[in-house]
Amino acid sequence: MKNLKEISARLEIAKKNIKKDLSTNKSSNAASLGKALKISTEFVAAVVVGSLLGFILDSWFDTRPWLTISFFFMGVAAGILNVIRSAKNMHKNIQK
Amino acid sequence: MAANPMQQFEVYRIGPEINLGSINLSFTNASLFMLISATAILILLFVGTKKKLLVPSKIQLITEMSYSFVAKMINDTAGSSAKPFFPFIFTLFMFVLFCNMVGMLPYSFTVTSHIIITFILAAIIFIGVTIIGFMKHGIKYLELFVPKGVPIALLPLIIIIEIISYLSRPISLSVRLFANMMAGHTMLKVFGGFVISLGLLGGWLPLGFSVALTGLEILVAFLQAYVFAILTCIYLNDALNLHH
Repeated sequence: MKNLKEISARLEIAKKNIKKDLSTNKSSNAASLGKALKISTEFVAAVVVGSLLGFILDSWFDTRPWLTISFFFMGVAAGILNVIRSAKNMHKNIQK
Repeated sequence: MAANPMQQFEVYRIGPEINLGSINLSFTNASLFMLISATAILILLFVGTKKKLLVPSKIQLITEMSYSFVAKMINDTAGSSAKPFFPFIFTLFMFVLFCNMVGMLPYSFTVTSHIIITFILAAIIFIGVTIIGFMKHGIKYLELFVPKGVPIALLPLIIIIEIISYLSRPISLSVRLFANMMAGHTMLKVFGGFVISLGLLGGWLPLGFSVALTGLEILVAFLQAYVFAILTCIYLNDALNLHH
């Protein structure tokens, strides 16, 4: 069957083209906008969770301001950790 | 027309009031639009897979593209061990995408602009991923909170920071989707209001803005669904493979 052979040859070419497209499209504008939005919330969420946790623990142990303050700073640290981690992830994806 | 840009987010009851004990279970416009999105997904997938042509029709192409898009995303971020979770992530991605997109239609309601809905989705993911992690690794899953090569003196501090970072996942996941959708739709409404109040003379500039913003919002709607799904994959990867 000549027809089938032709189709499979065309398929091979099409597949190669798809692969090329995927590798070049990786760092498109839309994707980078998504990444930027992702990082900003990553930081804020950790600070909020840290402060909330400190507030709850404060009302448990009756040590009003101290645990909130220290957990706020730990939340900031966790936020920075989150940002660094997701940035590392992106870096890995770009290099792939 | 409503002048208040926040009025579009109002949830109201459709049909009779249903109370189950003290819980209000009435059918609202939010439930209606969730139902519409789910039905639209079902119709798309049903029609797209009905006739399996070698040269796909447009609808079949969309269906196949969405399948391979999600499959590739899972493979790239979480590896082949996450393959069994494909149905869940595909459902999640399509649901968020369709809720966002249905919200872009005029006179419709954006389900994902309500934090309770995005938070419930994120909480399901968070609890599910934690359970999967414990099922796969048992008590060793707690090693996620203890990074390698940290001096013992710093360990208590690091563990607390890691736990905060872990607990912040559902918050960041849900707030991101909710804030993006709500901010975008409020902005659209505000610019729409400017068109009316500036009238025939000066209304053209905000009109142009709202056309551009609509385009941006469609982009954001897709992007947020994508980000939501890809972060689920990343969390799943952490739970399945247990190293960053």
